[in-house]
Amino acid sequence: MRRKGSSETISPQDISGKILGYLEERFGLHPDLFKDYRMYLASKGRIYLGPRSAPDMPKIATIGLLIARVNGSVKPSTNLLQVMGRHVTKNDVELTKEQALIFAKGQDVKLSPAQLIPLRDGYILMRYQTFPMGCGLLQLGNVKNQLPKAKRLDLRFI
Amino acid sequence: MSAEYGRIPEPFRARYCPLVDDEEAFLSSLGRRLPKSFRVNTLKSSPAAVAERFLVYGIGITPVPWYDDAFVCDNPDAGFSLEHFTGAIYMQELVSMLPPLLIRDILPDARMVLDGCAAPGSKTTQLAALMGNRGTLIANDVSYSRIRALKFNLEKAGALNTVITNRDLCAFTNMQFDAVLLDAPCSAEGTIRKNWEVFDTWSAREVQKYARIQKQLIVKAFDLLAPGGSMVYSTCTFAPEENEAVVDELLKMRPDARLEPITFPGLKASGTVAAWDGVKFSPEVSKAVRIWPHHNDTGGFFLAKVKK
Repeated sequence: MRRKGSSETISPQDISGKILGYLEERFGLHPDLFKDYRMYLASKGRIYLGPRSAPDMPKIATIGLLIARVNGSVKPSTNLLQVMGRHVTKNDVELTKEQALIFAKGQDVKLSPAQLIPLRDGYILMRYQTFPMGCGLLQLGNVKNQLPKAKRLDLRFI
Repeated sequence: MSAEYGRIPEPFRARYCPLVDDEEAFLSSLGRRLPKSFRVNTLKSSPAAVAERFLVYGIGITPVPWYDDAFVCDNPDAGFSLEHFTGAIYMQELVSMLPPLLIRDILPDARMVLDGCAAPGSKTTQLAALMGNRGTLIANDVSYSRIRALKFNLEKAGALNTVITNRDLCAFTNMQFDAVLLDAPCSAEGTIRKNWEVFDTWSAREVQKYARIQKQLIVKAFDLLAPGGSMVYSTCTFAPEENEAVVDELLKMRPDARLEPITFPGLKASGTVAAWDGVKFSPEVSKAVRIWPHHNDTGGFFLAKVKK
């Protein structure tokens, strides 16, 4: 088992291929969706999706959007799934209104057996109707909420 | 008449009452609460789709005549909607939506755009949306502590074409941009309707301090503009020292700078101040506009569009 914190020495091209492969295999996201952008590898295995041409200049804080963390396996970000969610064709689950409210609060959501049928263990997209809400981690029938604390909200209108 | 009305400092009244068409309407507007408004983030949704959802919620929203993506929504709970959660809407004051609109015609094809003083990112997320997430948008802010909010808001909006930099704009790398937005740090007198604390620190000295910074920033921002490029200079303050005088300084320092007239159909914009403190400004400055709070029930604002 890989120790937490360790990461492979891997080139940006390899990382890009690895992420694109994962997103297509896991969520059905076609690589063409990313062709106008470039992936940037930052510290701690963080991968950003940003503009193709980023200037070479000092004091760059961030390029683009944090789409994933790679630590052996790939962990997609909530922001990525919110942006690309409408193109996702598999491993996505449509939540009931009650489940969506619970998810938005940052709590773990209990899925029904019918909801679980098409899903495989791993990261899944949580949707309410056509609206991509964020990322959950499905393990043995339980979904762990992956919503960052800063994004949690007690929704009143849904 | 609101309770705050009497709290307006006398020097403030003395400065600005002579500049407005209706002194009474101006002063009383400052004491009235600012209506809430939001902008639909077209990277994630559309005005029609959001309007339909808000109808279902039973939250009243009013379209804005000069901007299809904007709505006035006088329900503070709009921030607790699914649309806010997913980044499909951005709570933003109406006048703050104006600067990016001045360059909206060139944004879809722009290769390099700079937002010089970007945090917390209201206008930056709007620029990214108007660019359709294409090209490169550099979002710069001098304050490290404000970068975090900028990053959060850009990510929530789903902006993919941005590069966040943390620099003093005056020391920015020499590059050439198709468009530059300089929404300058200012004494923020125009935000009084949402923040009465502005008067706690307000003084003519404070105004002078900002004016000095703005004059440096506007020249540098203009120098970063490619030939043929467009720049917007804006502030949320009334002080002529921070508005007309700053644009006048640019015209003196850079003879190749010229202004373009500004119109927003459906929004009442007013003329600029022709002279201040005995100094007469270039007639070219009169192409800029002022937005007074009592004309459109908004905050106060100043806008100039500069071409190279």
